[in-house]
Amino acid sequence: MTFKSAVEETPDLKGTWCSGLQALPKTDRQHMDVADTGRLSGSINVEAALTKKCPDPRWDYAIGYRPGNVSGEVVYWVEIHPATSGEVKVVLAKLAWLQRWLRELAPRLHAMRKEFIWVSSGKTSFTLSSPQQKRFAQAGLQHKGRVFRIPDKAV
Amino acid sequence: MKLKLQHVGPITDAELAFGDLTVLVGPQATGKSIALQMLKLMVDTGYVQDIMTRHGLDWSGKLPEFFDAYFGEGMHGIWNDEQSSVGWKGQPIDMPKVVGRRKKNKRDSMFFVPAQRVLALRDGWPRPFSDYSPGDPFVVCEFSERLRVLVEREFGSSEKLFPQERRLKKEFREMLERSVFGKFPLQVDKFRAQKRLVLGAAGESLPFMVWSAGQREFVPLLLGLYWLMPPTKVSRRGDIQWVVLEELEMGLHPRAIAVVLLMVLELVARGYRVCISTHSPQVLEAMWALRHLKENGASPRALLTMFEAPQTQSMQRLAQTVMNKSVKVYYFDAATGRTRDISDLDPASEEAGEAGWGGLTEFSGRANAAVAHAVANADGKGQS
Repeated sequence: MTFKSAVEETPDLKGTWCSGLQALPKTDRQHMDVADTGRLSGSINVEAALTKKCPDPRWDYAIGYRPGNVSGEVVYWVEIHPATSGEVKVVLAKLAWLQRWLRELAPRLHAMRKEFIWVSSGKTSFTLSSPQQKRFAQAGLQHKGRVFRIPDKAV
Repeated sequence: MKLKLQHVGPITDAELAFGDLTVLVGPQATGKSIALQMLKLMVDTGYVQDIMTRHGLDWSGKLPEFFDAYFGEGMHGIWNDEQSSVGWKGQPIDMPKVVGRRKKNKRDSMFFVPAQRVLALRDGWPRPFSDYSPGDPFVVCEFSERLRVLVEREFGSSEKLFPQERRLKKEFREMLERSVFGKFPLQVDKFRAQKRLVLGAAGESLPFMVWSAGQREFVPLLLGLYWLMPPTKVSRRGDIQWVVLEELEMGLHPRAIAVVLLMVLELVARGYRVCISTHSPQVLEAMWALRHLKENGASPRALLTMFEAPQTQSMQRLAQTVMNKSVKVYYFDAATGRTRDISDLDPASEEAGEAGWGGLTEFSGRANAAVAHAVANADGKGQS
């Protein structure tokens, strides 16, 4: 199963697949840094695709990538959001919604190797060793500064 | 006030502009201690030469012999005549000339608390300078001698060293009792004819070797702080303007580290220019918080709350003063041999050295990522 075919087989997302990082507006693309753009397998704007169907909370983007060290693709589910203490609950609620939506309405995408990523849209008010970061990790979420570098190799 | 080092030991290029409080971080053997000892040499050249001479050290005016005596045996190798250079206060320093000619000024203006401070109390009593071998680092011998003078001159007739009413703020004494000493006072005891420091009251006293590792590390530091905070109305000791404190966290629980850090801030508030080296993320957490509390106009109470310190007037004055002081943080990068100013401590920085706080939070970052990946793919799916 490729990222593109999994998107096409998800009714909520049909017809939303874009090549490279085309699904991200320019302002958000500046938060991304890709180790090898040739390995990108497309992107979708989840927020835009689900605006009418789903009430808040929603998630921003999904990006497909073929890492150099594993077979198959990794889907990075990326939320670009202010990283302040007050927003922790908001982002964790969005993540819970995304995980439920994946399980119930996007089983093909759910079955793929995935990472949930929070990118700071501005200042960050918690440190790498903070208890908040442990809370994110336990929920399956990785917080990555202002720029998310999609690594050449998957975890 | 800048120190510039090029090709000195593992340092390729270091430029340190000192704040009221300067923090050095970086892996082992990246030159933090060499930089701090070089700073001492720049600040106290005449004093260092005088003390070394008085204790029978003779370097014949030669740089390699001097470095072996000052930095410690075998350390002449940190200097390469072709490449090495030192700059201080914007001026290039001719090291062979500095070492070859005696300086007249013999007063010291820096107090150096070395990482090896536990050696100063071997057998539970401060060792004199002459007790060390010629290959031991000068800063260790000198620190030890200072403690000996302090204990013999200023506590000659007193049996109790801690808690002592006129030493340290009451708030610090209470915090130290809670986090380091428990109910065991630090006392002078006599074992046969030999004086020694013990913890606990007579009859139930614990000698040096029985103390916890943290207590053994902390007592020399405590005595150093006594030296720097005299029991009089003057805020500083003699001509001392600079304080270097290496690895303040050694052997201590995070609660005790918090108290020591607060006492470091007291030194800064007293007007000392303080430089510390550390491997503790907690120290950088405090610097990060201090920066953001200042930037956001927080009250001194917020700083005290972070340290779980009493909100007394005296402590609020301390916090208020500290919040107006400058803090610099430098990262000694092992890969390049260069230093980087990471004072912003921005966890979202695109510079890995700054985001990972000079490596101190890198492991946390990897642990977080590993757990997050496992949780995200925990249902057995998503691994293809």
